[in-house]
Order: sequence, then structure tokens, then C-alpha cells
Amino acid sequence: MSTNNKAHNFHEEDKDQPPGFHRNNASGFELHKRAKLVAIHKALQSDPVDVASLRKYAISKGGLLTDEIRRKAWPKLLNVNPFESIAKDANIKEHRDYDQVVLDVNRSLKRFPPGMKDDEREVLQDQLVEVIVRVLCENNQLHYYQGYHDICVTFQLVVGKEATVSLVNKLSTHHLRDFMDSTMDRTKHMLNYLLPIINKSKPALHDFLQRSEVGTVFALAWLITWYGHVLNSFRSIVRLYDFFLACHPLMPVYLAAAIVLYREEDIMQCECDMPFVHSLLSKIPQNLPLEKLIVDAGDLFVQYQPSQLAKEARLYYKESTSLTTYQSLEESSRIQRPDSVLRRLTRRGQGHASAAGRPQDSNRVIKVAVWAISMGIGAAALTVLNNALEFWG
Amino acid sequence: MEGSKNTTGTILEEGESSTASQESPSQRRIFKVIVLGDSNVGKTCLTIRFCGGDFPQKPEATIGVDFRDKDVTVDGESIKLQLWDTAGQERFRKSMVQHYYRNVHAVIFVYDVTKLSSFENLPTWVDECDRHSLSSNVPRVLVANKCDITDRRVVSTNMGQKFAEHNDMPFFETSAKSSEVGESVSNIFLYIAKKLKAQRPHLHLRAGFGGISGSGRTSVRKLRLKSSGLRGFEPEKTPKSKCAGGCFS
Ligand SMILES: Nc1nc2c(ncn2[C@@H]2O[C@H](COP(=O)(O)OP(=O)(O)O)[C@@H](O)[C@H]2O)c(=O)[nH]1
Ligand SMILES: [Mg+2]
Repeated sequence: MSTNNKAHNFHEEDKDQPPGFHRNNASGFELHKRAKLVAIHKALQSDPVDVASLRKYAISKGGLLTDEIRRKAWPKLLNVNPFESIAKDANIKEHRDYDQVVLDVNRSLKRFPPGMKDDEREVLQDQLVEVIVRVLCENNQLHYYQGYHDICVTFQLVVGKEATVSLVNKLSTHHLRDFMDSTMDRTKHMLNYLLPIINKSKPALHDFLQRSEVGTVFALAWLITWYGHVLNSFRSIVRLYDFFLACHPLMPVYLAAAIVLYREEDIMQCECDMPFVHSLLSKIPQNLPLEKLIVDAGDLFVQYQPSQLAKEARLYYKESTSLTTYQSLEESSRIQRPDSVLRRLTRRGQGHASAAGRPQDSNRVIKVAVWAISMGIGAAALTVLNNALEFWG
Repeated sequence: MEGSKNTTGTILEEGESSTASQESPSQRRIFKVIVLGDSNVGKTCLTIRFCGGDFPQKPEATIGVDFRDKDVTVDGESIKLQLWDTAGQERFRKSMVQHYYRNVHAVIFVYDVTKLSSFENLPTWVDECDRHSLSSNVPRVLVANKCDITDRRVVSTNMGQKFAEHNDMPFFETSAKSSEVGESVSNIFLYIAKKLKAQRPHLHLRAGFGGISGSGRTSVRKLRLKSSGLRGFEPEKTPKSKCAGGCFS
């Protein structure tokens, strides 16, 4: 397909490695990479495809390495047949979200390769609108959110239009499902895992963040676009997509925690007040050591699994819910600042965990991968968020 | 820059987070301003322009809430304006933006003069503010953006002005793109800064803001507008002419 071939040429691969690769160790990297390429191809060619190994490679250093591999591997990770596209809906213009999609796609110039000609880009933008609205038409229960287009464009640039429809269709009913409710309550709940993770790892940093009343909205765009909206390097974005496609829907939140923890020093030097902390945190540094942070996120995940955090996240959830029920809150704010009340509530019974032993390096990727495999794709988010406190027991 | 030109002679722009103030940063008063309006009306462009940036060539959709700040000097006092630029899509407002309504000192409503629905939705935005029980003393202004586009304009000056009057707020026509048209972006924000300063001469704002007890809202507001000597309600007579040296006088 011509769109596929085009997609292939958009971004020069390999030249622009995600930050975090140690380029001074070029030969070591080359060796590692060559061996990995062979292994990935083997996994792709085995019959049936060795999805378990693909998952592992998607998580481990460098991810799936090239867009050519991604075109083959991403559908496997999501268990979709990219050739089985959903039907074209004739009336995409009548969809309730059509106008908003057009507005956002028109403003998404930055997401396309800088050298691209205007007319070429406009064709892709039209296609992007079509892709998005077709998926929305196919799933009437799904609601478009600003940022969804940032995810879709990433797929479009890697796998081309038609395959994007199938992949995003699947993703939207799984990993992204919670973002696509009519409200963002469940998205907010996912964000509520962020501070408990930080608390487990660095209680002092957590307390600082709490005191600043910064909330978690700074990480909203990170989560709901899988960092597509906030990272400039396309290579970095697709690398992260490898990781997220192979992992639990909450993994973007664990990565957010890893990023915040990594920036501890900068944060603690900031004035402890929401605007300053929000401002610092929401501007994501473009030179993050991504490979290290992916490992960190995996570590955090293995150490503090969602089931373990669910209780605390729920507590935070209550906090946020009470923030939205502003009327009663306004009442209480006359007596004292609401956050101090809530903070006290949160603090209660939430002993600071002593730093648990880190899993062995060699085990780490495997643990994350094994867990990812046993979970299968999706379902996880819904289950975690809706009911089972002890889902992973 | 725009704002430092001779306006009332008392308002000076200071540049982004400068050190020109004698007060220590912790003493400097901080005002929180939230910018509301439909998606795509130009909220992001306006706040970027005010904070010293050029008209962004490739603005992206705002996701959640963005924060920008700017130090300005009003009558010799250096104050900080914190601008909270919000996402237009309703879902963000409903569950995410709530948090940011707290402790707001001023509100800017923006609509796009080329998009009727963005004007028609204004009551929704105003209602929402009311529902967040913002104190009636919190100044609100109405901004008609994209006035540089004349051929596709569908909301007339008159319509905007009527709405503003009806809701008791000053009205500005502007363009984030072109400084040749309407009121300059910085003057709108400086107007707010001046008003906030006048309204709260000695309050310690950092200690939280429940709102001053609001009696006689209408009269106070109109009085202030008149006495401020700033153009608020005046219709845009010559949209093409740049107001050289004295927009406010
Ligand atoms: N012609 C013109 N276009 C504008 C103006 N302000 C914003 N825009 C354009 O309107 C679109 C939306 O602007 P943006 O600031 O992202 O709107 P927001 O959704 O309210 O934040 C962008 O494509 C801008 O380039 C203006 O004053 N004049
Ligand atoms: Mg915006």
C-alpha cells in the first residue's frame, strides 16, 4: 500500500536514537542491536508468532528498533489483523465529535515531520480525521478526547492509514478505554496512582508535592497521549509506544512516576506552590534518559503493583471526587483549606514503606514481560479501576 | 514591547519573571487569572502573546491546563499575573479544570468573532463560573478574538458589547495575530492587573482567597470602569488604525 510505504520514509530510522542510548559505546550498541534484530525477526517468523518474546523485546532496551518491525509487531502485540479493517462509514461528518477532531488535527502540524510539504501533510491530516472518526463511528460508546489525535497520528506515521484504523480500534476499547468515557473520572482515577507510587519510593518528594497542592493534571497529557503530545522526538515516542503496547494500561503512569522521581532535585528546589511546581513538571525535558526511565518504570511496576496501590489510589480518588463536588467543599473551605483536611485523611494509615529490595536486573524485564503476558491486552484497566482491589492478589 | 508604550503612564510591562522589583518574591502579590472559552478561539495564542511570545505559528490543542506567568508593574508595584490556559473541550472542564477555579482572582472569557457558536456558548461559560461560586468581586472581562479576520466575521461588535453589558463586564476586541487591530493583547491583561490592584490595595492574596464580601456589585464595577479611564465599553470605531501611544487615554 502506498500509504504504508510513505509512512516508512517519514522518519529516518536509527540516526535519531532515543536519548538514553549510550552512543559513545557505538560498537556495543551495534552488536546488541544486530543480535536483537535477528531475535525479533525470528519471533515474527515463528508459527504461530512468538508474541511473548515480542513483548519482551518491545520492553527491553531500544524496543522494537525499526518502524519496519513495528509495522509487523504492533498488530501482533495487540492481536489484530491489520488487513481486516473496519467498514467505512459514509457519514463521518455527522459524528458528534467530528468538528472537534478537525480542529485538533488542523492544529497538529508539529506532529508531522518538519520537512514535509504542506500538500502532502494535508492529505495525511484528512486521512487522520477519517481514521479517528471511523473508529469513533464503529464504537458509539467511545468519546473523543483532545489528545486522542496525538496517539492516532503516531500510528498513522508508522503503520499507515488502514492498519491504523484496526490498531487504534483495538487500542481504544482496551488501553485507551478509560480515557474515552463521556467524563474523565476514570482517567483521573488512573492519575491517582501517581502520587502513591512516588510516596512508596521517595516519601519526602511525595510530601513536597502534596504540600504544593500541585495535583496530577501536569501528567494528564502524558498519560492520555502516551507522551505523543509532549515529546518532540518521534523516535522517542515510538520507542515508548513499543513499551506501552507490551504493558499494562497503567504503565504510562508508572513512567510518569519515574520521570518525577528522576527530577526530584529540580522539584525540591522549586517554590512549594502549585503554579510553580505545575509549571516545572508539565514542561517535560526533551533530553530525558528514556531507556533508563523505562527500566525505572518497570522496576516501580514490579515493586508496587497496581493491586498494592489500589487502596491508596482510591483514597486519592475520593480526594479528587470531593474536589469536584465543589459545593460541599466550598462549605468546608470556610473553616479551613480543603486540602489540609484531605491531606490528613490521606495520610492516615498510610505508613511510608521502607525501600523494598530492588529486583535483580536480569529479572526485571522478564518480570514485567511475564506479567504483561499473563495479563493479556487490556481488560486490565477496566478490572483494576472498576472493582477488584486485590486483582493481582 | 506593546505594553510598555505610553498607555496611562502608570502601567509598565516588566518582562517575564524579571527581578526589577524591590519587593522580595514572597512579598510580591500574585494574581491568578483563568482564561475560558470554546476550543480554538485563541486562548493559547492570547496567553502566549501576552507572556512575551510571538503569535505561535503552530499552536497545538491544549490538553488539560497550561500555566504561564508574567510580571507586570502597576503604579510602581510589581505584581505577578498567573495565567491558566484551559482546554476548551467540555470533558476536561468537567473533571479536570475544577481544581483550577479555586482561588481565581480574575476571569477572561474569549470567543472567536468568526465562529458564532463560540459566542453562543458564552452563557455556558459564565454559568459555569457562577456555579464555581466565584466571588462576585472577581473581575471578568470579555474578549472578542480574531478581529484581524474581517471577511469571515460573523459576530459583530454590537453583539459582543451587548453581551458584555448584560453580564456586566468590560469588552475588548483584539487579535492575537495582528497588533494592528482592536485593543492590544497586553493592554487587556494590564487592564486586569490594574483593576486587581485597585480592588485589593492591601490584601494578602497568598493566604487564600475567599472573596471579599460582594455588595453593590454592579455599581462598584461601573464606577471602577469609569474612574479607571480605560476603554472598556467603547465600540471599536476604527479597527484598522493602531492606537498610537495612548490606547487607554
Ligand atoms: N487569524 C487569527 N487566528 C488566530 C488568532 N488567535 C488564534 N488564531 C488561530 O486559531 C487557532 C486556535 O488558536 P488556539 O490559541 O490554539 O485556541 P484555543 O483552543 O482557544 O487555545 C489557531 O490555529 C491559531 O493560529 C487571531 O487573533 N487571528
Ligand atoms: Mg488552547
